[in-house]
Amino acid sequence: MLTMKADRTGLSIRAKSHLTGWSFILIAVVMIAVFYFYPMVQALILSFKTGTGSNLSFTGWDNYVRLLSDKTFLTALTNTFIYLIVQVPIMIILALFISVLLNDSKLKFRGFFRTAIFLPCVTSLVAYSVVFKYLFAADGLVNSLLMKLSIIHEPIQWITDPFWAKITIIIAITWRWTGYNMIFYLSALQNIDSSIYEAARIDGASSFRQFTKITVPMLKPIILFTSITSTIGTLQLFDEVMNITKGGPGNATLSISQYIYNLSFKYTADFGYAATVSYSIVVIIVLLSILQFKVAGDKK
Amino acid sequence: MKKVLALFLSCMVLLAGCSSGGGGKEPAVSGGNSGGSDSGSKAEEITIWAWDPAFNIAALNIAKEAYSKKNPDAKINIVEFAQADIIQKLNTGLNSGTTKGLPNIVLIEDYRAQGFLQSYPDAFYDLSGTIRAEDFADYKIGPTSLDGKQYGVPFDSGVTGMYVRKDYIEQAGYTLDDLKNIDWKQYIEIGKVIKEKTGKDIITLDPNDLGIIRMMIQSGGSWYLAEDGKTPDLAGNAALKEAFELYKEMMEANVVKVNADWSQFIANINNGDVATVPTGNWITPSVKAEASQAGQWAILPIPKLPQTPNSVHATNLGGSSWYVMNIPGAETAADFLAETFGSDVEMYQNLLTNVGAIGTLKAAASGEAYSKPDDFFGGQQIVNDFAAWTAEIPKVNYGISTYAIEDILIVEMQNYLNGKSIDQVLSDAQAQAEAQVK
Repeated sequence: MLTMKADRTGLSIRAKSHLTGWSFILIAVVMIAVFYFYPMVQALILSFKTGTGSNLSFTGWDNYVRLLSDKTFLTALTNTFIYLIVQVPIMIILALFISVLLNDSKLKFRGFFRTAIFLPCVTSLVAYSVVFKYLFAADGLVNSLLMKLSIIHEPIQWITDPFWAKITIIIAITWRWTGYNMIFYLSALQNIDSSIYEAARIDGASSFRQFTKITVPMLKPIILFTSITSTIGTLQLFDEVMNITKGGPGNATLSISQYIYNLSFKYTADFGYAATVSYSIVVIIVLLSILQFKVAGDKK
Repeated sequence: MKKVLALFLSCMVLLAGCSSGGGGKEPAVSGGNSGGSDSGSKAEEITIWAWDPAFNIAALNIAKEAYSKKNPDAKINIVEFAQADIIQKLNTGLNSGTTKGLPNIVLIEDYRAQGFLQSYPDAFYDLSGTIRAEDFADYKIGPTSLDGKQYGVPFDSGVTGMYVRKDYIEQAGYTLDDLKNIDWKQYIEIGKVIKEKTGKDIITLDPNDLGIIRMMIQSGGSWYLAEDGKTPDLAGNAALKEAFELYKEMMEANVVKVNADWSQFIANINNGDVATVPTGNWITPSVKAEASQAGQWAILPIPKLPQTPNSVHATNLGGSSWYVMNIPGAETAADFLAETFGSDVEMYQNLLTNVGAIGTLKAAASGEAYSKPDDFFGGQQIVNDFAAWTAEIPKVNYGISTYAIEDILIVEMQNYLNGKSIDQVLSDAQAQAEAQVK
């Protein structure tokens, strides 16, 4: 009897606490459902429609078939992957390198350097893009500096040459996001017990060995996290390309997001196909994230 | 954890508050049109969207003043947005299915007009009964009308001219007469001589903007799209093929100074880096901005295509028109346009003197302001010349996908410059365009 009664009150308390818990998250759940999931489903439906402006009609898989033979989309996809493959590793390695340097307790003005490297992250995307555009103009600061130092003899066409325009975009996004990733590494580094390094030093491990055998393995989850967020960020690249090169010359720097913008607003609005292109990004991000987990994630 | 939750909840409340605050503001901006109770009465408030404070907004202010004299009760709100913002707002607003927050009158670029008119049927107010299409320059009617109904009030003329640096061509041994009524082939030859004698390029071009191709083909009565405004007309378009060949020839003759954007384009003009600027008349204020070059410029007719038989020395680049949205307040808005941009000859004189805007209302194409000599251009009656060329501009149908096709052509132009054959280039572009606009 006694145990049964206790059980019953126990149940009702649990039910009550469940109810309280659910009612707390209910607001968030409803908000997320209304502002995230509902638009996502609507966009999916939209991606099966075609037509200009408000004259939309269902076309089944036509948009997805068009996607595969769309030269502009394929160029945008290639460009985005070039940014991804070149820029993300450079940025991750650079951020890792800088954070290890700045974690050195003997370094003077650490606070200053950390702030200086993090500062680009708080600048507005558009503002810094415009500044970069002027820095890298044919007669801009970068070119005149390189000429004065006799590194180059004639100005590099940073913005109007297909190859150099890509380089300019990569330099810009690396400048903007390295500090952001560095902060993650710095905080993770502070969680590594210094006695591990001490032991390694006593055993005669070189700094490089300490870095590859202690620091990198200990930072693995953070490296995974930053590489996934950077990958997603690069796939959604828009502001820099829009403001520095406008996707040009030709399509040489066009990103997928900018193509979506063009389809919706630059050309006569084709929201159905634009939604299809958006969903291609979703699919790519999901696939890449799974891949990254498989390659770098813990097995457990 | 509790703190985080509390913070989260308060954020939510705050956000909700913000969004409803934003929602509440919208009708206020768009004026009294959402009230609807007094629709039909002339005392309604109307909202107008346009871009460019120095040109379109200034013109609107003059029109507002003229209209207020006759209708003292009228309340007119002029709101300035960048053109790209107007396009976004219109597209999203019209798609959302609600007319809240939309303006009564909006300015739309002629190249984009058909896209809006055909994409959003019933969103625009039929002005056929309010203004007379035949009162305006012929070439403006194609983009502003649909299925025989007149939706737009044609506004500024994008008539082009060739701005010429007299001192440079004289150094190269030419007179103004040598450059008058030439074709693009002669233009390139003259460019080579100017380059040799003065070291200056004859033209500055942005590889991402095929404005010069558009000027060339419209002078021959041709466009990226066929007459119907829907079928891409690229492969087998003789005028386009000729324009492409001339473009390549120009590039290879090394007489082009490449620019990357508008500010560099203007800088090249003002710094005296180029001998001629063939473009729309709206460049006049920017050319005159460099006061030290006063007297050194002249404006000649635009060159024509040498082989296309009906090509003339007149074409168009840019230009836009006014549209009335089909929402409460449309009658008032239509009345405003009819009485100002639709008929007021006096006001057009004012526009010309104060803003430098050349309209397309035929009745206003004369008068004192039109024949006024401009000292910056050596006393030339430039507006008179532009007005004469406006009447000759061939009428083409810009269709619904000018910019989509241009982006395809920009890429194919690079392929062409890199050695791909012209017929291949145009047929590839045709295939892509057909997939794009189907």
